[in-house]
Amino acid sequence: MLTFLFSVLFVLAAAPDSHAEKRIGVIMTGDVPYYGAIHEAFVAELNSRFAGGEKIEIILQRPFPNALSWSNAARKLIAFDVDLIVAYGSPAAQAVIHEKSSIPLVYAGLYEPEQAEVSGKNVTGCGFKIPLSSIVRYFKRLKTISTLGIVFSGVEEDSVRQGKTMKELAEQQNIKTLEIDIRSRADLEKLKAQKTDAIFMTGGSLTHLWLDDILSILRKEKIPAADIFPDDSESGVLMTLYQPVHSQGQMAAEMASKILLGEKPENIAPHTYRDTELVFNLIAARHLGIVFPIPLLIEATRVVQ
Amino acid sequence: MRRNSLAGTGLSRLVIACLLVCLISAAARPGSAAEQIEELLIGIEPEHNIFDQMEQYRSLAAYLSDELGVEVKFTIMSRYGEVIKRFKALKLDGAFLTSYTATMGIKELKLEPVASPVNLSGESTSQGYIFVRKDSGIRDVKGMLGKSIVFVDPATMEGYLFPLAYLSRHGITEIGKFFNRVSYSGSHASTIFAVLDGRADIGAAKNTVFDKLVHNDPSIHEELTLIAQSPKVPEITLCLRSETDRNLREKLSAVLLDMDKNSDGKAALKQFKAIRFVKSDKTDFAKVEEMVQEAQAAIADPRTN
Repeated sequence: MLTFLFSVLFVLAAAPDSHAEKRIGVIMTGDVPYYGAIHEAFVAELNSRFAGGEKIEIILQRPFPNALSWSNAARKLIAFDVDLIVAYGSPAAQAVIHEKSSIPLVYAGLYEPEQAEVSGKNVTGCGFKIPLSSIVRYFKRLKTISTLGIVFSGVEEDSVRQGKTMKELAEQQNIKTLEIDIRSRADLEKLKAQKTDAIFMTGGSLTHLWLDDILSILRKEKIPAADIFPDDSESGVLMTLYQPVHSQGQMAAEMASKILLGEKPENIAPHTYRDTELVFNLIAARHLGIVFPIPLLIEATRVVQ
Repeated sequence: MRRNSLAGTGLSRLVIACLLVCLISAAARPGSAAEQIEELLIGIEPEHNIFDQMEQYRSLAAYLSDELGVEVKFTIMSRYGEVIKRFKALKLDGAFLTSYTATMGIKELKLEPVASPVNLSGESTSQGYIFVRKDSGIRDVKGMLGKSIVFVDPATMEGYLFPLAYLSRHGITEIGKFFNRVSYSGSHASTIFAVLDGRADIGAAKNTVFDKLVHNDPSIHEELTLIAQSPKVPEITLCLRSETDRNLREKLSAVLLDMDKNSDGKAALKQFKAIRFVKSDKTDFAKVEEMVQEAQAAIADPRTN
């Protein structure tokens, strides 16, 4: 009941622009820089496509990453009767699909979309895939890895899936794994007690909401971290292997504009980006007492120093 | 006049005698020149780690110096692509060359192939592999359209010439137009890692490096798949200038081919990471020359480089 009242209040407070010819509702799985960057590219591309044409209104939802908030955000946009919903990340996309609305959905920022159960007649979008085995290989070239910590968010489907994949890959290389589920800030304490040689950060919203806190703890413990989301603020992730996000934002905008112009989502093929960039952070390495061998360093697309 | 004439005759005799001495000395020069050669300067094409490479060649230099009575020195020849230029600039007597540069050296500098080492796997040859990630969806040349390709260096058969020849055979000569990105990694290993990471969709590299990486990390075999393989050609060949004293060339060839028959030679071979040397001649490079012909149009395209 309370949820319903809040929804009604929100609808009244955030009444959409009645002059807009088309309305797009956008949901981020979490308010993290990764989805923010996709959205920025999405808006820029959409504006260029509709410059001088139809007026497009974008209603952005940035819920706290949990099931109830994603569901509420999806319901609000359905209540607004938007023309199209765009969801960044698997949990947000799945929340929209769960509502069984007839509003078309375009997703972006999904890890391996073909594995994410986001298919449907009104659904299309783009995602990415990172070869997680490369992270294990680069860690092994840097130091002896007996135990790899996997930081994930148990409430986020894609984060859980990445964690499972990494666990399998590490075990194939005879590396033990320790799964660290971060669902609340209090869970960060788990990082202090663990004994691992390195940490893999899955692409979860919760883990990235508290990235600075996580890295601060790891720095004290002298544990290097690898991430599949870009560390644009150079906050101290030792290595990042990520898919450049602007291409996903641009493609989502391209798909969205086609749908707004009358194309059916089922006629637009989903796409998985596989291009990556590899960044090594030598400042973080210095704090951790790690020296990058030159043959490894030359693999990087970019080096932070 | 007569006295003058007599005096003139005496002087003439002296001059003739001097000339005869000079002519005799000159006639004897080839043999004595060989004895006077004090140093043989041999170039080496740079590999991934030049420090390891110099260490590898150090014992070979010592062994050859002892056996030939001539100081044999090795020098790294800067970048792959400048080998022919550096050969002239450094006034080298010879060089250990990979198949493409050896072919160019034979053609442009009239170098004479002498011998090729047999590696620890029992192979004196190498071949080029064109490979992709198994999950890339690329199965043939058609599937490569609009993707990114990473070569090793324009002076390698395995990592450049062969893929260009292969693509030409399939009607692709405008490399810069066919692929959305063309890059050069600088080493065979880096090319393999670039494809593993997703930093490039397609790679071309040497089988010996590929197989070694797979041997050390079998998961690589699970992730990559071969699209094409080149014919086998000599991996590395010692080539000498055609002006090199014939006796010295024959002696050097004999010393190399007999190295595995004595204990000092075996020890030097072990350090050199070879089991023996085998004789080489110009016909060994015919297949490379064929590839040069096939790839000519692609090489001429400025967008390839």
